[in-house]
Amino acid sequence: MPLAVMLPLVVVGIAGIVGLLHLLGYTGGFRMATGDDARAAWLRQFPEDTVTGAVPCSTGSAALVDTGRGPGLVWAFGADSVCRMLDGGRARITRHGLRIRFPDFNAPSVTLAMPPDEAAAWAARINEKRP
Amino acid sequence: MTDQITFPDVVSLAVPLFIAAILAELFWIHFKGRGGRYETRDAMTSLIMGAGNVASGILLGFIAYGFFMVLWQVTPLDLGTAWWVIALCFVLDDLRYYWVHLFGHRIRWVWASHVNHHSSQHYNLTTALRQTWTGTFTFMMVVRAPLILLGFHPAMVLFVGGLNLIYQFWIHTEAIGKLPRWVEAVMNTPSHHRVHHGRNPRYLDSNYAGVFIVWDRLFGTFVPEQEDEKVDYGLVHNIGTFNPLRVAFHEWAAIWRDVTRPGLTVGQRIRYAVMPPGWSHDGSRSMSDGIKARHLARHPEAAGTPGFETAAPQPSPSARTSA
Ligand SMILES: [Zn+2]
Ligand SMILES: [Zn+2]
Repeated sequence: MPLAVMLPLVVVGIAGIVGLLHLLGYTGGFRMATGDDARAAWLRQFPEDTVTGAVPCSTGSAALVDTGRGPGLVWAFGADSVCRMLDGGRARITRHGLRIRFPDFNAPSVTLAMPPDEAAAWAARINEKRP
Repeated sequence: MTDQITFPDVVSLAVPLFIAAILAELFWIHFKGRGGRYETRDAMTSLIMGAGNVASGILLGFIAYGFFMVLWQVTPLDLGTAWWVIALCFVLDDLRYYWVHLFGHRIRWVWASHVNHHSSQHYNLTTALRQTWTGTFTFMMVVRAPLILLGFHPAMVLFVGGLNLIYQFWIHTEAIGKLPRWVEAVMNTPSHHRVHHGRNPRYLDSNYAGVFIVWDRLFGTFVPEQEDEKVDYGLVHNIGTFNPLRVAFHEWAAIWRDVTRPGLTVGQRIRYAVMPPGWSHDGSRSMSDGIKARHLARHPEAAGTPGFETAAPQPSPSARTSA
């Protein structure tokens, strides 16, 4: 197939499928309403951990999790979730909430929408000095 | 020597088919309310990875093809292009695919290229297109050398390889359950390949087949999909980015970080690149056998069941994270 046909086909195909998915309501969707939801999301990723506490943020898009290995963050990633330990994670308060950076090439940062007082409390917990 | 042989570029011809099938699967899921899951950004990343794979083939394909043409000049054998030669080439190339795919999971250098195919937590037809951009750098084209030296023309080898990839497209779906027994016995199917995409300890390192599942049965890597254990798709350590550049290069970056760590011996540096994913010089990470063994320690009743035939329970949890 000549490139002059292939290229437009690929571009229109990708844009069309992505646009359709968004219009049909398939964008995002993962939420943690309770600590148990957050705990389940953590244990799916790390089944060997013991979770001693899990608190979702007010929007349910992320949760702080206490594990036997230290604190961690689980957050909504599309329709699923991703977890990282918080050692090395740094939080910065932004206009709409919080931005957390990880020293991790495949999970570099998370942006969370949350009210200012909640963002301040989370930033304090995440940036806490740990042994 | 027949050098002037042309076979159709089947993968690019199949692009309209891929788009139509994705739309069909999406509408099926949307209106039936079952048969799989889609997410916008996940699908976009998979599709861009697919386009990038084709682009990298256009840019770097000459390296593998040049290597094959050198072999073709060297070999005194020429099997011609009879239909049965093409059919035999297809079967032998599928055996080649099995081994390349197995290396793709057991040698970190090759995994760095293949990992992105497994980096989605979804399993739908777009996942099939989430393909590597860095395949050339794995040097796995050498596994095709015997085929060309045996007298299969390079163009034919690439043609059957393309057919192999197209076959594997339709099995990336949850919309199809199990097929008739003889099909599941011989062919790679949606059920068998779902297992291959699982991060469940039971399903790790299984079902490497391309077209014929018989290779896994033959070499002892076959694990059937279990009624009572739903496949959890993705990586043992799932990634948290939809950025195609990060998806394409993240394991290469991780290898670089490990290989250049201070205080390692040369041997350790090499092993970070060539040992199975999860290997570490201090045992602080887990390879799949360790993951299986510790799963068995927590679930002893699973011992001897599919995926756990050979693993022995091993309770030491000292090593449990891998980057
Ligand atoms: Zn694979
Ligand atoms: Zn696959």
